Amino acid sequence: MSSPADTAAFPYDGPEPLREPLAAALARVVDPEISMNIVDVGLVYGVTVDATVAHVRLTMTSAACPVIDLIMDEAEAELDKVVPPELQIRVELVWEPPWGPERMSAGARRFMGW
Amino acid sequence: MHGRVLARALFGALAGASLAGGIAGGLWRLGVAVPDPHSFAWTGQVLLVHAALMICGFLGTVVGIERAVAVKHRWAFAAPLASGTGALCLAFGQQAAGAWLGVAAAVFFLGVNAVVVWRQRAAHTLLLAAGAAAWVAGNLLFAFGRESGAVFPWWFAFLVMTIAAERLEMTRLMRRRPAASAALQAVLALLLAGAAWSGTGPRAGGLAYGTALALLAAWLAVFDIARRTVATHGISRYMAVCLLGGYAWLAVAGAAWAAAALGGPTRDIALHALGLGFVVSMVMGHAPVVLPAIARIKLRFGAFFYLPLAALHLSLVVRLVLGSFSTALRAAGASLNAAAIVFFAVTVAGAAVAWRIQHGAEGARKD
Repeated sequence: MSSPADTAAFPYDGPEPLREPLAAALARVVDPEISMNIVDVGLVYGVTVDATVAHVRLTMTSAACPVIDLIMDEAEAELDKVVPPELQIRVELVWEPPWGPERMSAGARRFMGW
Repeated sequence: MHGRVLARALFGALAGASLAGGIAGGLWRLGVAVPDPHSFAWTGQVLLVHAALMICGFLGTVVGIERAVAVKHRWAFAAPLASGTGALCLAFGQQAAGAWLGVAAAVFFLGVNAVVVWRQRAAHTLLLAAGAAAWVAGNLLFAFGRESGAVFPWWFAFLVMTIAAERLEMTRLMRRRPAASAALQAVLALLLAGAAWSGTGPRAGGLAYGTALALLAAWLAVFDIARRTVATHGISRYMAVCLLGGYAWLAVAGAAWAAAALGGPTRDIALHALGLGFVVSMVMGHAPVVLPAIARIKLRFGAFFYLPLAALHLSLVVRLVLGSFSTALRAAGASLNAAAIVFFAVTVAGAAVAWRIQHGAEGARKD
C-alpha cells in the first residue's frame, strides 16, 4: 500500500526528471481514515508541467466531505518540497469523470478485499 | 482573515453552549444536578429541550458547519448559525423562537445538501439530502408542539441517515455485493416509515423503527470498511474502533427501541445507546480528522485518544446495563457519560496544545 509511488497510476505530461519526485510527493498525501495515499486511492487524475506551472488535477470520493481542503493543502505543501521554485503550483479539484473503485491501485484493492 | 477567526470562535461558542446546556439538561432530568426534577412543572419540556440542544443545537450545528465547509458557499453557514442561535433561544426559554429557528436551519441545510446532490449525484448524496429532509420534518413537529414520541424518530433519522450515507460512500472502496446499496436504501426506507408511523401508531411505528436500526447495525457490520481499517494503525485504527463500538450500541438501540414500543422499560436505553453509543462514538472517531478541517486547528494524534473513548463506552455499560437494575446506578452512569464527553473535549484541547508544542506556535493556526 505505501509501496513506492506508482507513476503509471496517473497521466503525466512534463519533464522526465520531475515525474518520479512529483509522484512520490503526491503519494505522501494520506487519507487519514483509510491509511491510503491519494495516488493509491486513484484520486490523482493527471499532472502536467510546462515552463511556468505544475498543474495537478485531483478528485475526491465525496462532494460532501469537509476534509477536501485539507487534502488539497497537504498536496500543495508536499508538491512545494519537490517542484523547482520558478514553477507555480496549481492543485485543481475536478469531479469529472466521477471517481470509481477501478481507479484504485492493485495494492489498495487487495487491502480492501477485491 | 480576522473575520474568519471570529466566525470560527462564534460557531465554536454556539456548538459548545448547546453541548453544555444539553448535558446540563440531561443530568438535571435524571436528578443529578437538583434533588428532585419532578418538582419542576415542565419536566416533559426539559426532556425535549435536552434532546433539542444535543441533536439540533450541538450535532446539527456541527454537521451544518461540516457541510458548509464542503460546499464552500458563504450562505451555507446560515444553517449552523440558525441551529446554534435557535438552541440558545431554547436554553433561555424562548421556545417558539428557538423551535422556528430550528426549522429555518433544517430548511437551509436541505438546500445545502441539494447543492451537494447537484455536484455529485450519487446514492450517498441523495441519502444525505433525505437525512436533511428528516431533520426538517422533526423540527416542524417540534415547532408545532408535538410530543417527543413523534419528534425523536425524525431527529434520530437525520443523524442516522447522515452517518449511514457517509459510510455507504466509504464502502465504494471495498468489493461489495451489488445488493449492498439497495439493501441499505430498503433499511433506511423502513426507518423513515417507522418515524412517520410513530406519530400515529407508536407501537407499530416504534417496532419498525427499532427493527430498521438493528438491520442497519447488521448492514454496517457486514459492509463497512471499519472491519478492514481496524487492522491498520494510528488514527485509521482508532477511527475504526470508534465505528465498530458504535455499531454494537446501534444494535442495542434497535432492540431497546422495539422493546420500548412493546411497552418495555427500555426507552432510556434506546435513546442513549443511539445518541451516545452510536452517534457520540462516531463524533469522537471523526473529530481528530474533521476538526482540523473545519476549525483549522491541528491536532497531534496519539493513543491517548482511546482513553475518553473507553470512558464513554464503559460509562454507557454502567448507565444502560447496570442502570437497568438500579436508578442510582443509572444516574451515576449518566454523570459518567457527561464526564466522558468533557474528558474528550479536554483530550482534544490537549492534542491541539501538543501539536503546537511539537511544531512551534507559528504554524498552528492557518487562515
